[in-house]
Amino acid sequence: MKKITVFSIMLIALFTVLAMPVIAGGQQEAQKEVVLNWPCIWVGEDAKADAVADIVAKFNEEHAGQIKVQIEEMPDYDIYDKKILAQISGGQVPDIFTLKWNPDTKDFYSGDILVDFSEDLAGGWGNRFDSSIINEVTLDGQTKVIPYEMAITPIWYNADLFAEAGIDGFPKTYDEFWDAAEKLKAIDVTPTSQMTGGANAWTSMLWYSHIMASVGGPGIWDKPLSDPAYVKGAEILKRLYSNGNTTKDAIGGGPSVPSGHYLAERTAVFCNGPWFIGNIRENAPEVYESTELTSAPAAAGGEKGAQIGFIQTVLASGATDDPAKREAALTFLQYMSQPENVKRISMDSGALMVPKFTFSDSDDVDPLQKKFVEAQENASFVMNHLAAKFPASVVQEFGAALDQLALGRATPEEFVQMLEAAND
Amino acid sequence: MLVKNKNWKWIIIFMIPITAMYTAFFIYPFGFVFFSSLNSWNGISSMEFVGFENYSKLLQASTLQISARNNIIWSLSLGFLQIGLATIIAFILARRPRFWKTLRTVYFVPKVISGVAIAMLWKAVYNAEYGALNAVLTLITGQEWSHNWLGAFNTALPAIIAQEVMYIGYFMIIILAGVMSIPTSYYEAAEIDGASVWQQETLITLPVVWGIIVTAMTLAMAYGLRHFEATFLMTGGGPGHSTSTLALMMYDKIGARKLGEASTIGTILVVVGFFVIVTLNKTLGSKSLTGEDQ
Repeated sequence: MKKITVFSIMLIALFTVLAMPVIAGGQQEAQKEVVLNWPCIWVGEDAKADAVADIVAKFNEEHAGQIKVQIEEMPDYDIYDKKILAQISGGQVPDIFTLKWNPDTKDFYSGDILVDFSEDLAGGWGNRFDSSIINEVTLDGQTKVIPYEMAITPIWYNADLFAEAGIDGFPKTYDEFWDAAEKLKAIDVTPTSQMTGGANAWTSMLWYSHIMASVGGPGIWDKPLSDPAYVKGAEILKRLYSNGNTTKDAIGGGPSVPSGHYLAERTAVFCNGPWFIGNIRENAPEVYESTELTSAPAAAGGEKGAQIGFIQTVLASGATDDPAKREAALTFLQYMSQPENVKRISMDSGALMVPKFTFSDSDDVDPLQKKFVEAQENASFVMNHLAAKFPASVVQEFGAALDQLALGRATPEEFVQMLEAAND
Repeated sequence: MLVKNKNWKWIIIFMIPITAMYTAFFIYPFGFVFFSSLNSWNGISSMEFVGFENYSKLLQASTLQISARNNIIWSLSLGFLQIGLATIIAFILARRPRFWKTLRTVYFVPKVISGVAIAMLWKAVYNAEYGALNAVLTLITGQEWSHNWLGAFNTALPAIIAQEVMYIGYFMIIILAGVMSIPTSYYEAAEIDGASVWQQETLITLPVVWGIIVTAMTLAMAYGLRHFEATFLMTGGGPGHSTSTLALMMYDKIGARKLGEASTIGTILVVVGFFVIVTLNKTLGSKSLTGEDQ
């Protein structure tokens, strides 16, 4: 018994001695290196994934022993938002994270949740951004998010399928559009890609925003939902779901439904942002070659040539009492907004970015990306989409109300009433 | 009674860990959920006390009524259809037909596959444009089928429930274990007395394993009350909230940053669940099939 006790004590002593340098080294390392946790959506199959991974790896290499950014992969956009909110509610604000810029984002400005970068931006960093965009995200003198990705979401159409159906160019009005739809159906092509599922019925929500831009003009979102223009827009949206103008699985369909049909040439018209360029270029090269961008048709007596554009994603950092951590987060966000890094992400994915950068003549800029820039420049005006202007409760209700509109359970008036009821 | 037990000190000592865990992992979270249900809270700013305003608002909302109705349908479907099927299959397999061991494994295998994978598979089966179900129906009937099973009001809920009900493996195994433990001498005696297979199953097997079946029903119905996964993945509660459940509605409220309302639904869910389980056990669990107290 005595031998066993002595042996056990010696064993513990040996382990303690051997472990001491490791523990001590670890403590020294922990004191020196600041670790930033980044729950990141730009991972997996996302078009920005490779570029972001490379930039983070390069940053970690350049700041080895001082700052380390750890990416926590979260590829689902809808779940990402809820996870971030849950973390913040529990007092665990991530060191680095992204947010969509919408009315609810302003809630994050209250209290001591996010780092305020207004002084850092004023110190020269702000020159990398368009001042009007910085002003938009500055509330009461505080800039708690860094605008990073912007977008316009024009109408995409497959010019080859249009030519095959005998349609000369994209229709300028909805009357012409319904005629073109019949011609497409005659060659067994469903005219448009739509969806009512997902967190916000994204594709159809963008279509409705395009319709509202034409029906109500650039100031439509400032008008209450009781404005008759919303019902007029809903009538057009309903028709997009009628008479075989979209696929049957659009009802309840998530984001893969509209994009999948467009990539497979089962539909001829689609709506999305430039981040989809990488996907179409890789997965459907023929469709990529024949894709043209345009503005939506004009409603009778409505505005022509509008585009839907918005700040898509902002970067933020959780407030901290640790000056070293704040400094590390600032260093990383400044690194992310360096022109060469922004350009790398943009060229890889086709995304339009907020931080300024320039393409050189030698840059192999994606032709479709150039068309996005042209579409923005040629727009009669650019306005936000519905999800960026209304609270999340309205955006959530949009898909459910659209289900009822499309399936004939609700009239356009009732569709708008459902949105109004959710807007409490 | 407790003070008369000479081991009462040890009883208390051994009760401490489980009591502490129950308090930490149920009583405290439920208390917090109930407290936050009395507040307006977006999860970011401070809570604002509103009393029972969230309850009165939500109880009038049609979405909550639809969700509660769907939860009841889910509970009844799983409690009676799924357990009924599991019981029948368990009784058949207990008779050891040919390949019964293989069949037992076949029935159980889906239970070890991720529910997410199964939901995505069925979503593809039900798809209106390329789904296997429409293709099979087209083949059988000779007419073109392109029904959107998950996108139509009359078929969405039955379609999700059907794919869940048929996965009986988990409960089948539990009931089968109970049936297999019945001594064969009971059946031998019954056979000598001239009892048919039907009489053996209804007068011997069923009464003996009734307690296990009620337990399985309780578990299945509890799952029905908190159902979320398949509906979230297959329809997201659509079309038009018609397949929504209380758990899904709670999730949506979190997404809309109405955490006070989400907590209200959570509280309602716990209270409803408590009453359903107690009622089930009172009506089915307290008596055996022969009418004796258990």
